[in-house]
Amino acid sequence: MRKFVVIFVCCILFFCGCADSAHESASDISAAQSDNVSLHTAELFAMDTYMALKAYCADDKPLNSAQAIIEMLEKELSVTLPDSDISRLNNAQGEKIELNCDCVELIKNALDLCERTNGALDITIYPILREWGFTTGDYKIPTPENIRSLLTNVNYSAVWAAENSIQLPSGYMIDLGAVAKGYTSDKIISLFKENGITSAIISLGGNVHALGSKPDGSAWKIALTDPNLPQTYIGNLEIVDKAVITSGSYERYFTGDDGTRYCHIISPFDGYPVNNGIASVTVIGDSGVLCDALSTALFVMGKEAAVEHWRKYCDFEMIIITDAGEITVTEGIQSNFSLSRPYEQNKLEVIYR
Amino acid sequence: MKKTVFLITACAVVFLASAVISVVMLNAPSGDIVKIKSDGELLYTIDLSKSPNKTIVVEYNGKKNTLEIKDHKIRVLEADCPDKVCVNAGWLDSTAIPIICLPNKLIIEYENNDADAAAR
Repeated sequence: MRKFVVIFVCCILFFCGCADSAHESASDISAAQSDNVSLHTAELFAMDTYMALKAYCADDKPLNSAQAIIEMLEKELSVTLPDSDISRLNNAQGEKIELNCDCVELIKNALDLCERTNGALDITIYPILREWGFTTGDYKIPTPENIRSLLTNVNYSAVWAAENSIQLPSGYMIDLGAVAKGYTSDKIISLFKENGITSAIISLGGNVHALGSKPDGSAWKIALTDPNLPQTYIGNLEIVDKAVITSGSYERYFTGDDGTRYCHIISPFDGYPVNNGIASVTVIGDSGVLCDALSTALFVMGKEAAVEHWRKYCDFEMIIITDAGEITVTEGIQSNFSLSRPYEQNKLEVIYR
Repeated sequence: MKKTVFLITACAVVFLASAVISVVMLNAPSGDIVKIKSDGELLYTIDLSKSPNKTIVVEYNGKKNTLEIKDHKIRVLEADCPDKVCVNAGWLDSTAIPIICLPNKLIIEYENNDADAAAR
């Protein structure tokens, strides 16, 4: 009997040893690949969100520079900071305003995306967004007359952009909230590349952007939030070198006196919070700005028009989740997406070109 | 002859049993360790599987979040933030999605994360 106990213990030790050596050899490989490169992280609260940066690099310097970029862009692009470039522009009362190049570049970029989405994205929606209270927290349902009159000051094509200056018609205001974080993540990824980093992942308040793959060559694993139950994740997305940006009705909303839930995504077409059965749209692509803008625009458009847009442009993939929990995935991302266990019974539709 | 067969069978059984036990042992979670951070600073590292039921008050700029640990789970019980997103989040459920109180700059998350990032 004692012999068996000895053999038993030996076997357990043997298997544990196997597992240990497997772990060690895996970490040896990644260490060898990357010389004195190790994981560096930074966390900060900025742009009204929580941001987490992870990069495999030699020291903290690239992360410090990234934080400086975030702080600088927030000062320029914020619509709520009274001294920001955008606030200066919004208070210009029809005057032409000279702005620094980041700001002008992003506004031009955003205007192109407003055009591309036929106004489903409109950076001049701000006066209406503010009227609903989404920027102040002082939520209210505006009167239909109020919305109608404010809508006359919503039209991206009235924004005039020159080399280094922007002019808004009097009464107009812009908000870059739908593109600012995507733009920021693009800037950080370029900074990381310039610093020779080949492996990094950043989350700017849930807007995820990955540079390369993990150091061992495997894909980054992104958890996708269930918009109908935001503390759980509906599935996993495996990505390399991509931005993953979600717009969801669950992110910011209020319940009005009439008992209706109003979300922060406002349709520029009628001035009301979007209520088309979509709970979230996730866009996967190479450019943070594009993904950020499209996640909002496709949400506004609704599923049918979003699919049409995807077929027409071929430069992004998307995942749409409805209020009823139905999931629609485009062909190009299908093999990288898997449902987490509690959701395996959900309806999953794949859209082909 | 019989003895040899018995020995081989016995060894095989022992071998398989130990293989199964080893796999179970190695896959066992390394504890339900959560981190509580205020404005980026790590305040507490708590193993939920070992922690007794209790409440913890975290203060930031005079604002308070009261955390509750109960039956090896954690949540924000009360908060004097304006939006109460952290309270409405309920118990920390997912290893991929943290509880965040933006106004009071509070984060509660599992140490071992299932995913590299969460998209939301």
